[in-house]
Amino acid sequence: MNAGAPGASAASAASGASGADAALPRIVVGYTANESGADALALATRLATASEAQLDVVMVLPSEARSSTVPSDVGYERHLKARSREWLTEASSKLDAEVAQSLHVRYAESFAEGLIAAAHEFGASLIVVGAARGGILGRSRIGSVANELLHSSDVPVALAPSGSRELAASVGVSRITAALGTRPGAGVLLDAAVRLTKAMRAPLRLLSLVPIDLPAGMDEGLAELTSEAHADEVLVAAKRALPAGVETTAEVATGDTIEAAVRSLDWHEGEIVLVASSRLATPSHLFLGSTASKMLRELPVPMIVVPRSNGPRANGSRTTGKAAS
Amino acid sequence: MTNQPDPASSAPLTSASAAVDASEQGGLSKKGLSAGSVGLIGAIVIGISCIAPAYTLTAALGPTVSEVGVQVPAIILVGFIPMLLVALGYRELNKRMPDSGTSFTWATRAFGPWVGWMAGWGLVAATILVLSNLAGIAVDFLFLLIAQVSGNPGIADLALNPFINIAVCLLFMLGATWVSYRDMQTTQKLQYWLVGFQILVLVTFSVAALIETANGNAFDATPIELSWFNPFAVESFSAFAAGLSLSIFIFWGWDVTLTMNEETRGSDKTPGRAATITVVTIVVLYLLISVSLIAFAGVGTGEYGLGNPDIQDNVFFHLAGPILGPLAVLVSLAVLTSSASSLQSTFVSPARTLLAMGHYGAMPEKFASVSPRFFTPGYATIVSAIVASVFYTVMRLLSENVLWDTITALGMMICFYYGITAFACVWFFRKVWFRSVRNVVYTLLAPLIGGVILGVLFFTTLIDSMDPDYGSGSSVGGVGLVFVLGMVVLLGGVVVMLWQWRKRPAFFRGETLSRAVASE
Repeated sequence: MNAGAPGASAASAASGASGADAALPRIVVGYTANESGADALALATRLATASEAQLDVVMVLPSEARSSTVPSDVGYERHLKARSREWLTEASSKLDAEVAQSLHVRYAESFAEGLIAAAHEFGASLIVVGAARGGILGRSRIGSVANELLHSSDVPVALAPSGSRELAASVGVSRITAALGTRPGAGVLLDAAVRLTKAMRAPLRLLSLVPIDLPAGMDEGLAELTSEAHADEVLVAAKRALPAGVETTAEVATGDTIEAAVRSLDWHEGEIVLVASSRLATPSHLFLGSTASKMLRELPVPMIVVPRSNGPRANGSRTTGKAAS
Repeated sequence: MTNQPDPASSAPLTSASAAVDASEQGGLSKKGLSAGSVGLIGAIVIGISCIAPAYTLTAALGPTVSEVGVQVPAIILVGFIPMLLVALGYRELNKRMPDSGTSFTWATRAFGPWVGWMAGWGLVAATILVLSNLAGIAVDFLFLLIAQVSGNPGIADLALNPFINIAVCLLFMLGATWVSYRDMQTTQKLQYWLVGFQILVLVTFSVAALIETANGNAFDATPIELSWFNPFAVESFSAFAAGLSLSIFIFWGWDVTLTMNEETRGSDKTPGRAATITVVTIVVLYLLISVSLIAFAGVGTGEYGLGNPDIQDNVFFHLAGPILGPLAVLVSLAVLTSSASSLQSTFVSPARTLLAMGHYGAMPEKFASVSPRFFTPGYATIVSAIVASVFYTVMRLLSENVLWDTITALGMMICFYYGITAFACVWFFRKVWFRSVRNVVYTLLAPLIGGVILGVLFFTTLIDSMDPDYGSGSSVGGVGLVFVLGMVVLLGGVVVMLWQWRKRPAFFRGETLSRAVASE
């Protein structure tokens, strides 16, 4: 029925050779046949091109187990699967042939769960999804899928803002901005940033956001001064922690709010932003903090959220019990 | 769809996904689809929630009493027979040719495009009729519930105002469409509770009716007799046929438990067990309720008599108060939740059939579109909802008793497309009838007898319904409304079919879905 196996093994072999030690050996793309999916695929292709990684384009179909009211229907499930394969093929045919890619259909109770399981299955180091699903008036909005991923993934998640599909893969990654918190503990983020900059041969920008959101009556000038001083300290400490040979700049962004601070920055066309997940996250799982959420709303560029500590990836199967393989 | 070469088969799929796809060849592998699939209890719960006993009985009990009087329990028992026989054939077809088009696809395969098209039309028409009836019942009970909760009985009468009624009904429909389009599912736990609640309330309702009767508080205490269970005690064949076609409606939806994924967790026996437990539960419930309500209210035409045309279209609505007093609010809740969850599962059926019809070129291609985000047949869902809404609106304005007439017309439509499906099974398997005893029973005898019964019911109902006094007594131009309704739906189908034939001749030449016969 399908002659996919030979071509596929060639594709994996191609990526396996170059991707063994790279920061992004494999990238899982959560694909849906709409604009959000196109955004995700475009961003993933750009990242894969820049880092010579392999793309695993995954469509996650709802598994029967989530159905509690509607009887399952084998005929319809087959139709869905055939349709999904068509969608994947269409998407794949538009992709640059240079990028190693493979296409998958998976079943899970939720899209996020299916993607995390797929990432574990392929040993992927990144999951890419469209951030905005039907965002109103061009504003980015975290879709329910992205939201669920951000609250449960133990693999870094990249959110492609609406419109990512219009940026050519050849733009590559022009700069990586690591947004540091004002508190210590950015080791994981810095590690990830260094790995990414090496893999993508892009310069690194360290960023500290300083919102000045104080009760009325406080001396704003003084507050600004102390916060900025603190932010500078964080940056200096971070810079010191970086290994030699990484092209790094540092910047402090200020504003009345996080949103204003983000708006005050300049952004390159092919830039990506790295943030660490919130302190509220369970170790090695993601949880998007309020600062990152606010940033996301303003960011014109993709954001990658990194779990706080890189737990052992090998035993990832503990969360994948329900997914099909 | 499995009956066509797969256009995507050349996709560069990985070995990993090739493993998933390979499982399509013969049945579904454990890994492929049903990782953590619905278990036995889940299947029973889905089955009961599809049949929605609380909704079904409140809608069908009155009309059935008006046809067969006290012999309702007999009719319920007998009505199950054709349903079972046809469902057995349905299961054989589903095993051999699983396809979302079900009756449409199977009938096309067995009898060619014209018969197949009409079978698809019959299925869609039947489900659209029931959608409007479901929503109509839900509206009544919503107002009743508000009246009971607020202690202001006047509110329940608002449901009688056609404009308020139509407006609220359309809102219900909109909500159900939204839920279906987005494939929103309640959690399994909640669904268990809802179904459990429904059964508990129905049992309480019946027991209370029996106790009231025993205490001498019944409206029209009628001593229970064994003859209630004797189908031959029904006075005429017409009444018997009409009653049967209604009782087919009350079991409609039960077949899903039989045809649900064979890979239901546990073993191959699970679907059969689920179907058996479901139907036993349902039959016991139906018998309990019909016996207790007849014992309490009788079949006379008095205020609360089941023979009173003013209460027949929605008997629980009128009897819950007298029987349960302050607890009547529970009945409203049970019927509301049961219609709500049934609305969703019912929506799936016409949408999937329309999708298949679009896919095979029997309808515009738009119907075949699948929502890329929710993986539902989005366009077909919305069209079904619009048609059901328009239908309800027109019927509410035309008919004196919309719920009653839609239920009767519905029974006729079910007989029509189920009958064709049964014959399709017989004909499709004609070369293998005598390969085994099993085949003789499941592919020849069961569907043939079931199909003949449904065919007889269909024509009897059709002829009888020409009488303007038939059913609720609504008529158009001196002919019974149910007959007019049935004819409009069927002849409308023929007109649309001819139009599609002009626009899409490929399907009607058998190019997209060819005739076939089982040969092994």
